[in-house]
Formats: sequence, structure tokens, C-alpha cells
Amino acid sequence: MKLKHSLAAAGLALVLASGAFARDAALDLVEPLAEYKVYVTEKTEKLETDVAAFTAAVKAGEIDKAKALFAPSRMSYEAIEPIAELFGDLDASIDSRADDHEGGEANPDFIGFHRIEYALWVKSSTEGLAPVADKLLADVKELRTRIAGLTFPPEKVVGGAAALMEEVAATKISGEEDRYSHTDLWDFRANFDGSRKIVELVRPLIAKKEATFLKTVDANFERIDTILSKYKQGEGYVSYEKLTDGDRKALSAAVNTLAEDLSKLRGKLGLD
Amino acid sequence: MGEPGHSRRALLKGVGGLVAACPFAASVARAEPHVTDAPLANHASQDDRTPFYGARQAGVVTPRPAHGMVASFAVVADDADALEALFRRLTERIAFLTAGGPVPVLDPKLPPADSGLLGPVARPDGLTVTVALGASLFDDRPWLRPLKPKRLTRMTRFPNDALNADLCHGDLTLQICANSQDATIHALRDIIKSIPDQLILSWKQEGAVPVVAPGPDGTAESARNFLGFRDGSANPDSRDEALMDRVVWVGAGDGEPDWATGGSYQAVRIIRNFVERWDRTPLGEQERIMGRSKMTGAPLDKLSASEFVGPDYAQDRDGRLTPLDSHIRLANPRDAKSDANLILRRPFNYSNGVTRSGQLDQGLLFICYQADLDAGFISVQRRLDGEPLEEYVKPVGGGYFYVLPGVETPSDHLGRALVAAAREPRDG
Repeated sequence: MKLKHSLAAAGLALVLASGAFARDAALDLVEPLAEYKVYVTEKTEKLETDVAAFTAAVKAGEIDKAKALFAPSRMSYEAIEPIAELFGDLDASIDSRADDHEGGEANPDFIGFHRIEYALWVKSSTEGLAPVADKLLADVKELRTRIAGLTFPPEKVVGGAAALMEEVAATKISGEEDRYSHTDLWDFRANFDGSRKIVELVRPLIAKKEATFLKTVDANFERIDTILSKYKQGEGYVSYEKLTDGDRKALSAAVNTLAEDLSKLRGKLGLD
Repeated sequence: MGEPGHSRRALLKGVGGLVAACPFAASVARAEPHVTDAPLANHASQDDRTPFYGARQAGVVTPRPAHGMVASFAVVADDADALEALFRRLTERIAFLTAGGPVPVLDPKLPPADSGLLGPVARPDGLTVTVALGASLFDDRPWLRPLKPKRLTRMTRFPNDALNADLCHGDLTLQICANSQDATIHALRDIIKSIPDQLILSWKQEGAVPVVAPGPDGTAESARNFLGFRDGSANPDSRDEALMDRVVWVGAGDGEPDWATGGSYQAVRIIRNFVERWDRTPLGEQERIMGRSKMTGAPLDKLSASEFVGPDYAQDRDGRLTPLDSHIRLANPRDAKSDANLILRRPFNYSNGVTRSGQLDQGLLFICYQADLDAGFISVQRRLDGEPLEEYVKPVGGGYFYVLPGVETPSDHLGRALVAAAREPRDG
């Protein structure tokens, strides 16, 4: 509680100084922003713990264990992507994909989660991965430090609800994110949770005025929940390849509609 | 064909107000355009409006404007209500886009109402958006399956095809045509943005028709495809309503479901042309493969005639002048039987980029319409199977679709009769 309170105060000071949006909107958003920072802080703590265990397994050559820890370790990162992506250098080294690099997998700049994923699933080997694992853990620690010192830009937080959907719509629904492990549904779960969290935090501010809008948004989140629940297995999800064509289309439609609807969330809150 | 004697080009007609308004063109008259005529240079206007309302959809017997595309979608609709909602929303968007009008101005804190590609007033620019349905829309929905048009199937491979699954089939296609590429893209983006919950884009192919400067008499030659040949010289005359009723439009007596009256079968083929190899082929061989003179489009047995004069195969039974396996002769042997296989072609040239082998990825976005898909495209393509042209072309995508009947009034909507039929209780 104490943490939450002091964050709220810090947020208020910044927001009032920024003058980027109307004074009422600023005051209204103080509490949601503070709560969101608490959410992100908890996620980054969990990310560090999970990545420490994951990278330890990689370094110990425990391939099966590392494979089992890969998808759950990513979830905390995927849920807070709107904030994590504010640090472009870290996002590139933590979460870039082979095709972000000329020459693909062979490029030595291809490091991070997906470099390890490639080695575990395609090469079935952890050989030479120790420096990659160390760098990933170091990057995640650095991310936590930077986030702790960050004043959250309101438009990035509120816009993050849509940004997460844009990510899924543009480069994830195809299954290209976790192309070696096909654990995409874990990422999706985290992306949707991260987006919905933001909607929940600002809901009280627009509940009365935007009841129809919220109803549509809720319905689409529920549609996604229904589809994902069909593919649940243990603590996580089955391979993305198991997703039927019909469910992929239904998921795509819900994601595109959420991206379209949530693109209006900033404006509805009076943010520029 | 009903054309050799009186060329359709002879049907000259003044263009009224347009001509009168232009002092330099006072004496110019031109033939009313036919579906495969090349768009005339300097004739298109952003204010060109193709009526949306009518018993049949626009974009089928409508003359081609300079740009066209086919976009294919997966449809999300689990029941008749959802399908009706989709058709109503499509109708509303297409009615607006084809008529044009001011784009709503929103609070700048919100995303703008449209892409802005056409500015504050979306001018119609000759836009048509033609909606057609694929077999999968019916096959995947038990409540819609009994209403599938009789000859609508999922396109199957012909021997020379190398179909890319990512460029084939679909629940619903939009054929979007306009004077400018911007107008077609604006319409596509508007529809994608307006109906994200029910339409999921699967593939699209854009194309263009070369704009041709009219001759002194106001007429124009057929546009050329990327093989450098005139394409469409022998197309049935789209201004002949009786002919179109027979060749293109499904009528009440055609054995199709009642709702389908006023529709048409659409065959789409994305046909890559190996243009480098073609350009390295002797001219004489190119002409024998096609069956026409490359420069003039004249049939090989009447080299001094115009492209619109038909060949006389009866005088050339052994194929000495027009080889028996030439493209035009196989496609249309012009005998008593082949009259039943007429199709209305409405193609666009496409140019996509470079293949992994460093060759140009160019070809023909082939689109054709017919009242009977089996007697039309499928029969024609079967006759073409094994033709010498196959060495230079490779169909890679497309599909078969059924063009919905038109929207007659503003209170009507696309697919109304289909939705009503889907709601009727049926005997098990």
C-alpha cells in the first residue's frame, strides 16, 4: 500500500507538470497509472525470477527443463510489452526474432529468448549458449532497474491496451513469434491479460459514458478467453499448430476488432 | 459471337455533356465502352460514378477502369443473423464509397474516420465493389450448405497449375475497381476498418489495365497484357443485354437456387507470366502460340484485318495459318458447340516484384464471368490444358466464387434473398 501511495504522488507531480492533457484527465489518471506501475513492477520481479531459473537450466545443459521453462518465463515480459518496448535497446536484445537480423539465425546479433528457443527446439543443444543466457538475465535485470526509475507516460500506458493487440494482429497471429517452439498461445494469454489489465484500470473513468464501448470490448476479450480455454493444457497451452483454422480466424477477428476499438481508448480518456 | 459483320466499334455515339463542355473535343464521338476496352486516356474523372443500385451488381459488365484488385476474406458468421449483419454493413460501406461524399470529421484525439487517402471528400473515381461468395462459406456452415449454387466448387488444380495455398479460395471476395489505385486501396482499407469482426483478409492481388489513347475516330484498341498481346479482342459484347443474359447472368430457369437469380460465377486466376523467357522467344513463335499478330492483334489468317475481325477456321481446318494448338483457337474454336462455352473476361495485369530466382513476378489477374462455371471457364481451361503457351505461364492462385445479385434500392441489402432462404425452415 505504501508503495502504491508514493507512486501515486510521484505520478501526480509529473502529470501536472507535463501539461500534455487536460487537468481533469490528469487527475483522473493518477490512480490508474500508479496501479499500473505496481502491476508492471510485480511482473518485472517475476520476470527476473523466472528468467534466472530458465537461464540456469540452459547453462546446466538441462534441455527438457529449459524447454519447459521457456514459455512461462516469457509471459511476464509479454504482459508488459507496452512499457518494456519503451527501451528499444533492451527489447531488441531480449525479444528480437531471427528475421530482425540480416542472415537470420546465423547472425551473431540474434540473441535473447528466441535465440535460445532456436537452439533448444531446432538444434536440441545448449552448446555455446552460456553467454546468450547470461546476457538475457543481465538484460532483464537492467530492464527492472530502468522501469523502477521510469515515470510512466499516460498515453503510452493507455495506448498500450491497443498496442498489445496491434502486436498480435501484425506479427503474432501467424505463429511467427515462437516459430520453433510453437508456444505462441502462452504469449497470447499474456498479451491479452496485459491489455485487459489496462482496460480494467481505466474502466471506472469511462464506465458511465462508454458503456456500449466497454460492452463490445468485454465481449471480444471473452471471445478470446473462450477460444484459448479450449487449448489449455496443465498450466499452459498446447502447440499453436493445434489451433484449428476456424479458431484462428475467430481469434483474428476478435484481435482486429479489439485493436480497432481500443485505438479509441486514449481519445475517450481525453489523452492526446 | 454475333460480331464479325457489324463491329461493335461501329456503334459510335456522342458523349453529350462531356464533349460539349470541352471546346477542343467538339467533334469527337466515341463508341460506348465495352467491358474489355482499354480505359481511354484523359477520359477518367474522379467524379465518375458507377451506380451501385440495380438488379445486378456493378463491376461485371461494367467497362474496366484502369485499376482493379481482388481481395479474398474469411468470414466470421455462425448464423443467418450474423451473415445478414455482415451483408448489411458491406452494403452500407459500398453504397457510400461508390457514391462518394465527405468523410466525417472526428475529435482529433481519436483515430480519423478513414485512411484519408482521398482527402476530406471521398470522390467515387469510377469505383465498383463486387461481392462474391466462395464454396467454403457454404460448405463450412450446415445451415447454408443446401443453398450453395449448383456449380460452385472449390477450385481444383489444372495440370499446369502450381497453386500457392496462400493465394487461393476464400469465403468472400471483393473485386474492387476504380480509375486510380488510391481509390481501390481506400475502399479496401475502409471495409477492413469497418468490419474487422467479420472479415479477415486472406489474400489480395492488384492489377491495372493500360490506358490507351483513342484514335482520331474516338475508338481505342484492346489493352495489351504483359506478354505484349492484345487481350479481349474476341470477348462477347458486354453491351448486348440479351447476350449477357445468356452468357454471364444466372436466370430463373438455370437450375440454380432461387436466391441466386441475377448473380454470376466469377473465376479468378493469378497467372504468372515468365516474361524474360517470353521476350527471348522468336516473334513468329509467339504469334503461333497465341494465334494472333502481336502488333495489330489481327487473326493469323487475316493479317491485314483489325483485331476485332474473327478468324475463319473453316477455311483453315489443318491449322496451316492458325495452329490448332494456338491459344485463341483452343480457347474458342468458334464451332457450333463452343458457343456454349463463352465467358466474359475482365482481366488486369499485375506486377509484384522479383522472384527468388531474380525474375520479374508479373502476370495476369485473370477474372471472368459466366452463367455456368462448368460450361464456361472450366470447359475453356480444359481445352487449353497442354497448350504450348503453358511453357510461359503458371497459374499460382485464385478461386471460384458466386457474385451475389444486386441491391435494388437503398432499403435493400446484398444477399437479402440468400439470408431469407437460410431462415426458411427446411424439411430434414
